[in-house]
Amino acid sequence: MTASKIISDSPVRPTEADTELLASAQATALAVRDLYHAAVEAGAGGDHVASLVAIAAHHDAYAQAISSLIGRAAPQARDSKLFAANKADFGADTTAVALAAHTLENDLVAAHTEVVGALEGTEGAALVASMIIIEARHVVALATIAGKSPVSDTDLFLVTPEAATADAQTTTTIA
Amino acid sequence: MNNSHREELHTFSKIVKATQGADFGPALQSSLSRRRFFIAGGATISFGALLAACGGSTTTEIARIGNAPEKTELVDAPVTDIALLRTATSLEHNAIFVYEAVAAAGLLSGDAATLAARFLSDHKAHAEATASLTEKLGGKAFSEPNPRLQSIYIEPALRLIAGDKASGVSATDDPVADVLALAYALETIAGSTYQVYIPMLADPALRGAAIGIGEQEARHAAVIGSLLNPSRLVSSFGLSIAAEYQEETDVPAAAYAVPTAFGTKAPVPVTLGAANESGIRTSLNLETPSLNSMVYEYLDGE
Repeated sequence: MTASKIISDSPVRPTEADTELLASAQATALAVRDLYHAAVEAGAGGDHVASLVAIAAHHDAYAQAISSLIGRAAPQARDSKLFAANKADFGADTTAVALAAHTLENDLVAAHTEVVGALEGTEGAALVASMIIIEARHVVALATIAGKSPVSDTDLFLVTPEAATADAQTTTTIA
Repeated sequence: MNNSHREELHTFSKIVKATQGADFGPALQSSLSRRRFFIAGGATISFGALLAACGGSTTTEIARIGNAPEKTELVDAPVTDIALLRTATSLEHNAIFVYEAVAAAGLLSGDAATLAARFLSDHKAHAEATASLTEKLGGKAFSEPNPRLQSIYIEPALRLIAGDKASGVSATDDPVADVLALAYALETIAGSTYQVYIPMLADPALRGAAIGIGEQEARHAAVIGSLLNPSRLVSSFGLSIAAEYQEETDVPAAAYAVPTAFGTKAPVPVTLGAANESGIRTSLNLETPSLNSMVYEYLDGE
């Protein structure tokens, strides 16, 4: 038995700089949600349509959680550039959608990992960390839906692309 | 007061009540009065012994009723970044221990063995990374499995899978399924641990590094989930999505590639081992290391 005491003196609430990062993350989450919705409406999904709908619901939940954290600073609107740049890949072809979404979720994991390292407030960092854990699982589910094998295509399932991690531009665009 | 003391008092009470107001002869009455005296005395002695036992004392003074034990001061154990990293390293070694034990026992083959070998390699890399970070912060790296988690989760789980004749535990009927179930729970908890540590870490840069490892653990769990439950990769439990996309059951499956919308901090149940005579198998609830399971720096001196 110990008298444990957590000694972190980080701020709990988001700072001004945090709010900006989290606002950007909300716009991204709404754009990604709408991309999945567009794919399902176009007829993608097949046997896994329920999984695509559930993943869309996850991103909607992220947007709501960020909204509750930063209040009026939340844009409540999708990142239209991100949506437009990816819309063509989210059509009726389930495999193509799964591969495009796989890349997008991998980029989100990499970008959000950098965001966690940049956020000062612990509430924001904890929230984004809990999103990353599931976005990483999305990557695996989408690789499976795309028909990939975790044995022969292992890196597609397990590796966060270094390029995405190091790409500051990606971090700015997908935050 | 324990049950035997209660029964003793209850018996005495019945005897006393039964003798009160009875029309006995004077000699018998006199005898009963003496007996009643002895009974009352015995009860007093029993109470005294009970109370003395409750208040333990190590002094050489004459024992007194109600002596309080000496106060033991708790160890002051701050949850520093070093303690968090050492605990994370210890958890990696728990996973390494499991995958090495499974490989040594030859419980997995084919694709499952290939994946397990990859996961083992990843955990070794993670252990090196967290140990390196610990040393960069000026701490001493930890290089053993977390002792608490090893004793309450890992060893019992492996005993349920492999069996233990000395304890009368039969080996499981399906070791491959049990190993995958244990690995799923363990990887999920590993990811959750890094997630839980994010707001506890004082250095934001360390948070990024930690969740970078945590998401790798989550991928491991998701791969195993996709093997255990290939027909439903993403759970819809707790989501307000259209009824046509909801699962046709009231009970979530034991494993999914994606079980929730946010990373969970909840315990992960895992059912293992052979069924008992009633057909029931043992369930363990794996949890992230609590404050009392952390590998604090002061433990090195013990």
